[in-house]
Amino acid sequence: MSEMAPARTYSQIVGSQFRKNKLAVLSLHIIYVLLFVFIFADFLANDKPIVMRYEGNTYFPVFREYGVKWFGMNWQDAFKSQQFKILEEKYEEGDWAIYPVIPYSSTEYNLKVKLQPPSRAHIFGTDELGRDVLSQMIHGARVSLLVGFVAVAIYVFIGVILGALAGFYGGVIDIIIQRMIEIMITFPRMFLIITIVAVMETQSIINIMIILGLTGWTGVARFTRGEFLKVKNEDYVVAAKALGYRDFRTIFRHVLPNTLTPVLVTATFGVAAAILIESGLSFLGFGAPPEQATWGSLLSSARDTLPTGWWLTTFPGLAIFITVTVYNLVGEGLRDALDPRLKQ
Amino acid sequence: MKKSFLIQFSILILLIIFANLGLRSVENVDDDELGNAGGVRVDLTGDQTVFESSPQNLEPSEGGTLVLAESAEPEHLNTYTSTSAAATRVLDYIYETLLDYDYETWRFDRPLLAESFHISEDGYTFTFKIREDAYWHDGQPLTAEDVLFSIKAVLNPFVDCAPMRSSFSKVVSARINEQNEFIITSSETYFRNQEILGGFHIIPKHVWDPKGLLDRYTVEDLLNTSVTREEAAIKEFADAFNTHPQGRPVGEDAEPIIGSGPWRFDKWITGDYMSYVRNDDYWNDDSTYIKSYSDEGAYLEKVIVKVISDATARLTALKAGEIDFIPRMRAVQYFTQTNTPDFLEKYQKVSYVVPAYSYIGWNNDKPYFSDKRVRQAMTMLIDRDSYNKYVSYGLGIPTIGPFYIYGEQYNHNIERWPYDPVRAVELIEEAGWIDHDGDGIRDKDGVPFSFTFSVSAGSTSSKYMALMLKEDLRKVGIVVNIRQLEWSVYVENLRDRQFDVVSLLWIGGLESDPYQIWHSDNIGDRGSNYMGFRHAEADSLIETARFEMDKEKRNAMYFRLQEIFHEEQPYTFMFYQRDPGAYLKEFHGVKWIPIRPGYKLYSWWRNTSMVGESS
Repeated sequence: MSEMAPARTYSQIVGSQFRKNKLAVLSLHIIYVLLFVFIFADFLANDKPIVMRYEGNTYFPVFREYGVKWFGMNWQDAFKSQQFKILEEKYEEGDWAIYPVIPYSSTEYNLKVKLQPPSRAHIFGTDELGRDVLSQMIHGARVSLLVGFVAVAIYVFIGVILGALAGFYGGVIDIIIQRMIEIMITFPRMFLIITIVAVMETQSIINIMIILGLTGWTGVARFTRGEFLKVKNEDYVVAAKALGYRDFRTIFRHVLPNTLTPVLVTATFGVAAAILIESGLSFLGFGAPPEQATWGSLLSSARDTLPTGWWLTTFPGLAIFITVTVYNLVGEGLRDALDPRLKQ
Repeated sequence: MKKSFLIQFSILILLIIFANLGLRSVENVDDDELGNAGGVRVDLTGDQTVFESSPQNLEPSEGGTLVLAESAEPEHLNTYTSTSAAATRVLDYIYETLLDYDYETWRFDRPLLAESFHISEDGYTFTFKIREDAYWHDGQPLTAEDVLFSIKAVLNPFVDCAPMRSSFSKVVSARINEQNEFIITSSETYFRNQEILGGFHIIPKHVWDPKGLLDRYTVEDLLNTSVTREEAAIKEFADAFNTHPQGRPVGEDAEPIIGSGPWRFDKWITGDYMSYVRNDDYWNDDSTYIKSYSDEGAYLEKVIVKVISDATARLTALKAGEIDFIPRMRAVQYFTQTNTPDFLEKYQKVSYVVPAYSYIGWNNDKPYFSDKRVRQAMTMLIDRDSYNKYVSYGLGIPTIGPFYIYGEQYNHNIERWPYDPVRAVELIEEAGWIDHDGDGIRDKDGVPFSFTFSVSAGSTSSKYMALMLKEDLRKVGIVVNIRQLEWSVYVENLRDRQFDVVSLLWIGGLESDPYQIWHSDNIGDRGSNYMGFRHAEADSLIETARFEMDKEKRNAMYFRLQEIFHEEQPYTFMFYQRDPGAYLKEFHGVKWIPIRPGYKLYSWWRNTSMVGESS
């Protein structure tokens, strides 16, 4: 996409158009922050120190955790029980540890501080087991974003292919795919998802992502089909056909790139919708497994303690609200920026 | 762009430094801050057998309505085929039994529909003299015929009541004679016979079997499979019985259930409410049989049982005045959401003990839990006291075994396993669970110590238990997977013994027989020994104790049995339960008793003229 142009490239035009929308730019920055949280969650909220000095050696327990989880490494003998905070009692002269900003993991519980309102120790308070709410929200952000992106990636993939086939070939293929779409959209989506989740053997976010992906593709398929219908009689398509290119090449090399941008714009809205659905499912207890902190499950645990635990509803609720809004605003900004009628 | 990144990065570093400046370990929960949260705690220990939580200086008056809320409604109201506690709670007011609990001693020996009874010298035959002044709600007299019919219905092999029938499996004959006596013989002198043979609901023959299909058959016929297979009428009766409209009187115009108790069935609107009204013609109205409990029949004109499945909605309904009584609320509601002076002024909170205990069951046939040392270690790894204090708000009463904590069977000489993770890890290692392959998870014979904790989807407390256990065991190299299951699937898996660990509540009685759950006969084939507990000495103790009529000797055996349970830890016994509830202070005669559900509405009455005299 980096063809040199004398004046401005397409993406530069879109970029400058996008930057005029202050709200969208701000939203994009919030998304960057969310991405930062997504990637560095373990370094932001963890009950293990980032760096520590113990008995004359320097350790990096958070990194070690990755090693243990993914590369078959082991905890050092001194840290077998991973209770670094208890270990502090054994510190001698010269031992120290630097903890993440929120020195609690999302699963670490401490019954003695259950249902504490926000305080210096627990900035967003604690839940019914004394787990830190902020830490759970940071790790919950991972689930929300992951579900949003993966589910949308799956359904954009399915939707684009089916829509492309329907739009390009028309005829019987179009009729079959159109009927498939109609069948899919006659099911209320939430009910369909709940039904599928209920018969699933195990609870996991991977399942949720797949189910959301498999049930959400209809909109994208229709959209792509429409774009294809618009484009398929353009000269360059006719030229490609005349040159004897195989259909596969015509569809994916020539037509698709010219239809994809508007589809991707709708996908940003899709991310917001997927996050919302995941929260809803977790709220109902159908979503992530119980040990997995998610915004929806935090909200649902808050229901039991209302009206006392306002911090349990407020912060996760705000997080969902902000994230969904931000994705929608960016989507809107992108859509406007891409709209040729607004181009000067 | 570079500059702003630098700024963001330095802010992060600052935050990290800030966070490490002694922010941690601010624990400020006062240990005894919770107390009773303005409510009354009912324990019923020692000589105390009934506790009245309302003022006792007023003369009771009749009339008034009580609206209470339950979390679930029964699937149907057929008293023999139903297994749900919600159905029993309603039907116990409508139907009556030959004998009932004595409200002073809580022994099952107070004649109710029976005028008197005696047991033959050998202990096999029970003779009940049926009262002649008892009447059904439709005015028909209640006779020995009805009693005989009722036992026939239970014993009819095609009637869908297998769990109930299994208690009657030792019955060999039953008949009535001209003196209006009901004589029933059992083949064994089982110590709970009196409770079983005198404790089933009597149902009206003229309503349930108007054609007299069962008249032709004796109890012996019904117990004889060659007869029941031949005779079509037996099957025909059972089919009609299983689907009888009396078992599901739903809707505005349904025929009410005909019973003989102090309340008549009124209405059942599914998903909304169920109601019963005072039986003004109650046969027992002038009797003093519920002495020390209530002097006459029922006082309340009407009782409405609303179905509100959501706990938060139940409390909201109480506060809004839509309901008067929540028998069971969540602990967190009792202790943190109902403490305002306004609430305490208007409502009385009570936490009352019920004969039900919670436990964590380890499937003894799984490789992880086949060694008793591992099971002991699991018990010692669970900080039960903290759980009780912080999650249950101190409502639980720690128990070491399955018997009712304030009953005569409970062995108070056994000391609970302490919370001792260090000793627990030693035991686990002794049992051979060591991290051989160095992946951070303990293993033995190639099996990693990674098990699944099944949690029923609606149960918050067992979910918390599982979450805590997962976090604690992770630190000692054991992996816990949590699996949430729908209740029906949960029970199905339990019966098929497809689970590693379950967390459940067992509702028992004041005196119980451990045979059903603990004898090795009941392992597999959907028997109730779900954990697969097998122990030769325990088996023989259970068998002998069942037919030992001398209470002292029997309880000595149960004391020994509890020592075995303690040593073997097939369950981690958690707590006997106190149910937290709240009712409007306008109600008086509110008495709490040790049999479930913990109260009887007979004695309740509503003081409509209350002008703050009770506060």
